[in-house]
Amino acid sequence: MNIHIEPRGDIAVIAINGSIDGLTAEELLKTLQAHVQQGHDRLVVDLEGVAYTSSAGLRALLATVKETRRRGGDLRLARIQPNVRKVLELSGFVTILKVFAEVDEAVESYGA
Amino acid sequence: MNAAPVERRFRAGSMADLAALLDFIDMACDPAGADVGFAVRLAVEEVFTNVLEHGYGGDGPVAVCVTTDGSQVRVVLEDDAPTFNPSQAPAPDLASDAPDREPGGLGWHLVHQVMDDVQHKSRGERGNTYTLVKRLPAPAP
Repeated sequence: MNIHIEPRGDIAVIAINGSIDGLTAEELLKTLQAHVQQGHDRLVVDLEGVAYTSSAGLRALLATVKETRRRGGDLRLARIQPNVRKVLELSGFVTILKVFAEVDEAVESYGA
Repeated sequence: MNAAPVERRFRAGSMADLAALLDFIDMACDPAGADVGFAVRLAVEEVFTNVLEHGYGGDGPVAVCVTTDGSQVRVVLEDDAPTFNPSQAPAPDLASDAPDREPGGLGWHLVHQVMDDVQHKSRGERGNTYTLVKRLPAPAP
């Protein structure tokens, strides 16, 4: 799994490539939390390159969305692949996370 | 008519084996198609990590056997951990808003959601056999 962070103004677009499983989710959580600790609490996670996540990935996203919202920010998702969307739906995550078809939409949603 | 069953075995003992285990599952499920492979991969990871984290509380042997034929994928996972019946797993919280949402119970919930049949047998005080079945979609007429 690779994680690439690109700032867009005060929003960070975090592109993930690879599988999010019980081994890689910890690296994802540490990266996201470190970024939030640096004061970046408006995140867009680009999931175009993620074809698989287990509940370990969901736990990383949940912990981060809780932390960003506690600080007045948010974590929003873009470009979710079908099987990952299915896991999010089965876990009831689509009701607590804002989901967008495109990264630009997710970025612009912070200004809305 | 169903294809002759093909059986493949893998032994794992720690989280460090997860990547190799998932590669093994991908290989074993390849003939069954991507959607079936995704479901089985997810279910096996969830069972395996639950056995290590909650059963052993660390490392411990897990034997995995995947049998495929033309109609289904059947996975049997055997451990030596204390008896745990997944029907006793806590129900996941699927409704609370984010600040109150707790992730516990999601693993077994996903296993039941993506597989067609989930069975558990205990072998005394220690030792569990989990049997997971995913049926293949019927071929187009």
